[in-house]
Amino acid sequence: MNNRRWEKTMAILHQLALLTACSALLMAGPAAAKPGTADKGKGIYDQRCTWCHGAEGDGAGAAKEFLNPPPRDFTGGNYKIKSSFFDDMVPSDEDVFRMIRDGMPGTAMPGWSDLLSEQDMWDLVAYVKSFAQYDKPPAKMVDYGSPVASSAESIEKGKKLFEDGDRCVECHGKSGKGSLTKRLKGDGGERTWPRNLTKPWTYRGSADPKDIFTRVSTGIPGTEMPSFADPKSNKKLTVEETWHVANYVASLAKSGKPVAADDTVIKADKVDGELPGTPVDERWKKAAPTTFYMVPQIIGKERYFTPANDTISVRAMYNDQAIAILLEWDDRTKSIPGDEGAEKLADPPLTEDAVAVQLPVVIPSDMQKPYFGMGDAAHPVNIWHWKSAGKGTAESVNLLSSRGFKEIEKRDAAAIGLTAKASYEDGTWKVLMIRSLATTETDKDIQFVEGKFIPVAFAAWDGSNNSEKGSKHTMTTWYWMLLKPAVGYRPLLLGLIVALLVAGGLIWWGRGAAARRR
Amino acid sequence: MNTPRRRIVPRLLQLVLVVLGVYLGFILVFDVLLGQLIPKSLLTMYMVFVIAGAIMVFTFTEEGAQELVGPIKALVEDPSKKWVRNVVFVIVPLLAGYYVYSSMLPGFEAPVELRTIHPAPPGKFKAYGKSYNLATLENPFRKFEKEDPAKFKELVKEGGNIYIKNCQYCHGDKLDGKGPYAAGLNPTPLNFQDVGTIAQLQESFLFWRIATGGPGLPGEAAPWISSMPVWQDFLAEDEIWKVILFLYNYTGRQPRSWAHE
Ligand code: HEC
Ligand code: HEC
Ligand code: HEC
Repeated sequence: MNNRRWEKTMAILHQLALLTACSALLMAGPAAAKPGTADKGKGIYDQRCTWCHGAEGDGAGAAKEFLNPPPRDFTGGNYKIKSSFFDDMVPSDEDVFRMIRDGMPGTAMPGWSDLLSEQDMWDLVAYVKSFAQYDKPPAKMVDYGSPVASSAESIEKGKKLFEDGDRCVECHGKSGKGSLTKRLKGDGGERTWPRNLTKPWTYRGSADPKDIFTRVSTGIPGTEMPSFADPKSNKKLTVEETWHVANYVASLAKSGKPVAADDTVIKADKVDGELPGTPVDERWKKAAPTTFYMVPQIIGKERYFTPANDTISVRAMYNDQAIAILLEWDDRTKSIPGDEGAEKLADPPLTEDAVAVQLPVVIPSDMQKPYFGMGDAAHPVNIWHWKSAGKGTAESVNLLSSRGFKEIEKRDAAAIGLTAKASYEDGTWKVLMIRSLATTETDKDIQFVEGKFIPVAFAAWDGSNNSEKGSKHTMTTWYWMLLKPAVGYRPLLLGLIVALLVAGGLIWWGRGAAARRR
Repeated sequence: MNTPRRRIVPRLLQLVLVVLGVYLGFILVFDVLLGQLIPKSLLTMYMVFVIAGAIMVFTFTEEGAQELVGPIKALVEDPSKKWVRNVVFVIVPLLAGYYVYSSMLPGFEAPVELRTIHPAPPGKFKAYGKSYNLATLENPFRKFEKEDPAKFKELVKEGGNIYIKNCQYCHGDKLDGKGPYAAGLNPTPLNFQDVGTIAQLQESFLFWRIATGGPGLPGEAAPWISSMPVWQDFLAEDEIWKVILFLYNYTGRQPRSWAHE
C-alpha cells in the first residue's frame, strides 16, 4: 500500500479546505432565528443524537452510564444554558441553537456546526424542545439593565459580593476552584462538582461577562447552582451587583493555567546552592510552569470514565546534586481517609489523593521510548508515587520499577534518596519530589543528565471522586523534561570571533575597492 | 559598469520583499490560520530553498545579476556613501556575531517525532488466541448490506452503541477525531471522517488495528506512544466487526476491497 504520499497530498488538500472553511466562517454573520420543523429534526436526531440522549429524549442512550455529566434528559425540561428569566423553565430557540451549534465544553456534548447545516440545527431545536412540550417562546428574558464594563473597581466590588456571607464561596471556594463544603447532585441524581472558575475552557456557556451574568442570574437549572435574581433568595443580587460579580468571575477565569499545545517541554533551570525544600518556597514563582491535559485512564483494565480534574502544571529545578520537581493540580477535596468531614464529601470508600511521575530507566537515544502505560518488557520505567496523609497515617512516597502493569517491583524510595513533600490550599495540591541526579543502582534507576530530552508522564488520583484508586485515575501520555545546561562562555566567545572576522573581511573589501579607485 | 535601469522598487529590495513575503505567508497560513506551528528546523529548510530559488531567478541573466549586486557594490565603492558604509560595516558584523551566539545557545524545542500513520500490516496476526490471515479476512456481516438490509441496519446500530460506549472519548461522537479527551493524547486519535483514513483501508486492516491497538503496531508506527487501546481485551470479535460497520455507515464511506486493487 503506498498510502504515505497520498496521505501527504490529502493533508495539504485538507488544510486548504479548512482554510476556505475558516474564511467562510469569518464572513458568516450571527445566526438568525429560522423556524425549524420538528419532523425534519426527528430524522437528524435519530441518526446523530439518540446514542446519548436516547430515542425518547430521556437521556437514556447507550452512553448514559459512562458520562458525567450524563446526556440531558430533554423530557425533564431543564436547560443549563438559557437566557430566559430564572422562573421560566423554557429556553429561547437561540439558547438551544447555540448549544447544538457550539457544544458544551467540558462534557461529551460536541458542537455540530461542522457536520450539520444551519437549517438542520434549527430543525433539531424544534424537535428537541418538543420533548418537554415547549411550543411557545419564554415569557420573560433575563434583565441586563445597563451593563457595567469591567474595571479594577468593579472587580473589587464583585470580589466582595462573591465572598460576602459565603455567597459563591460556599460552593466555588475562595479561589474559585470549587473547594466546596457540601456534596452536590444534579437532577439525574448524578454527582456534580461546582465549576472550577479558573478554567474557562470548562464553562458550558462561556467566560464572557455577559454569559456569566446570565448564569448567575438564572442559575444552572438541573444543578444546585442557584439563581441570584430570585427575590426569595437571601443572597439575591441586584442587576448592577450581578455585573460586578460577572466581571470578577471573568477575571478569575484569566487566573488559571491553560494548556499551551506547543509547550511540551518542562525546562529545569540549574540553580547554585540549595534546591527549594518546600512546595510553597518563593523561588518556585520564578520557574515557568508547563501545563498538560490529563485524561481518564480508558486504555487498560479497569477503565475509568468520570474524572473531576483535567490539567496538571509542572515546574523543575536542579543543582549539582539533585533534581526537584513541583507538581501542581486542582482538586476540590482534600481526601483524608478516616476524617469525618472528608468522608461526608466523598464518594465512598474514600481513599487518599495521589500523584505519580513516570520516567524511563534509560533515557532513549533514538525515537523508541518505553510504552507510555507503565513501560514494557524491554524498556522499564521508574514511577515515583506520592500518597496523601490519612487520619493517623503520614504522607508517603513509593518507588516502583515497572515493565508493564503486570510486572511491577516495589522498591525502597529512601534508599535512593527520593523524597516528597506536599501542601494543600484552596483547592490546589502542590507536591514537591526531590531525587539525587545519580543513584547507585544505575541499571534500575534513571540517571539524570543535562541537555537531554527526557520523556516524562504523570498520573493523579482524587480519592474523593468516585474512589479513584489503582487503575482508576487521570493521566498524561509522554511529554519531555530538559535539564537546561549552564550556558558557559563558548557561545559568547564564538560570537565575538565571528563578528571580528566579518568586520575584518568587510574592511578588507572596502579598502581594496578604494585602492582600485585610486 | 553599466548604469542600472531606474525601477520603482530596486531589484535588491524586490528580492528581500519576495523572501520576506514567502516567510510571512508560511507563518500566516500555518501558525495563525491553521494553528499548527511548523517545526523550526523544517521552516529553516524551506526558507533555504526559497532564498536559493529566488536568487537563482533574480540572477538568471547577467544584467539581472549585476542589477542585483549593484547597490551592494555601490555601497562599498562609492566614496559619497561613506557614512552609510561605516554604519553597515558596524551593524553587519554585530548581526553575524549575534546570530552565531544565539544559535549556539542550547535549544528547548521538543524533538520532532515522525511516525508512519498507516504502516504496512503484517500478513498474519494473532488475536483472541488464534491466527488471522489478513489477505482473506472479511467482515462476516458485510454481506447483509445487500442480502438483508433490515438486519444490516440493526447490526450498524449495535455497532454504534459499542462505539459510543468505548470509542467516542477519543475519536469523537462525530467520528472526527475530536473526542472530549483527544487534546490530551499525542498522537491524536484518528479522524474517520477524513478521506485519508478508513476510506483508504480494508475492513481486515481495521480489524487488525482495533483488535491489537497501539501495542500491535510495527516499530515504524511508534507503538509505544499510541494510546489506541487493545480492544480484544474488552470487546468480542463480533463486536469489532459491528463497530467497523458503524464507522463506514456513519461517515458514508466505503471500505476498500481487494476487487479494486
Ligand atoms: C456523546 C454524547 C452526545 C451526543 C451524541 C449528543 N449529545 Fe447533547 N448532550 C450531551 C451531554 C453529556 C449533555 C449534558 C451536558 C451538561 O449537562 O453539562 C448534552 C446536552 C445537550 C443539550 C442541553 C443544553 C443545555 O443548555 O442544557 C442539548 C440541547 C443537546 N445536548 C442537544 C443535542 C443534539 C441536538 C444532539 C444531536 C445532534 C446531541 N445533543 C448529541 C451528550 C451528547
Ligand atoms: C450551592 C452551590 C453553588 C453556589 C452557592 C454557587 N454556585 Fe456556581 N455552580 C455550582 C455548580 C454545581 C455549578 C456547575 C453546574 C454544572 O454541573 O453544570 C456551577 C457553575 C457555575 C458557573 C459556570 C457557568 C458555565 O457556563 O459553565 C459559574 C460562572 C458560576 N457557577 C458562578 C457562580 C457565582 C458567581 C456564584 C455566586 C453569586 C455561584 N456560582 C454560586 C454551584 C454553586
Ligand atoms: C484512548 C483513546 C482511544 C480510544 C478509546 C479509541 N481509540 Fe482508536 N485510536 C486512538 C489513537 C490515538 C489512534 C491513532 C494512533 C494509532 O494509529 O494507533 C487510533 C487509531 C485507530 C484506528 C486506526 C485508523 C487508521 O486510519 O489507521 C482505528 C480503526 C481505531 N482507532 C478504531 C477505534 C475503535 C473502533 C475504538 C473503540 C472500540 C477506538 N479506536 C477507541 C485512540 C483511541
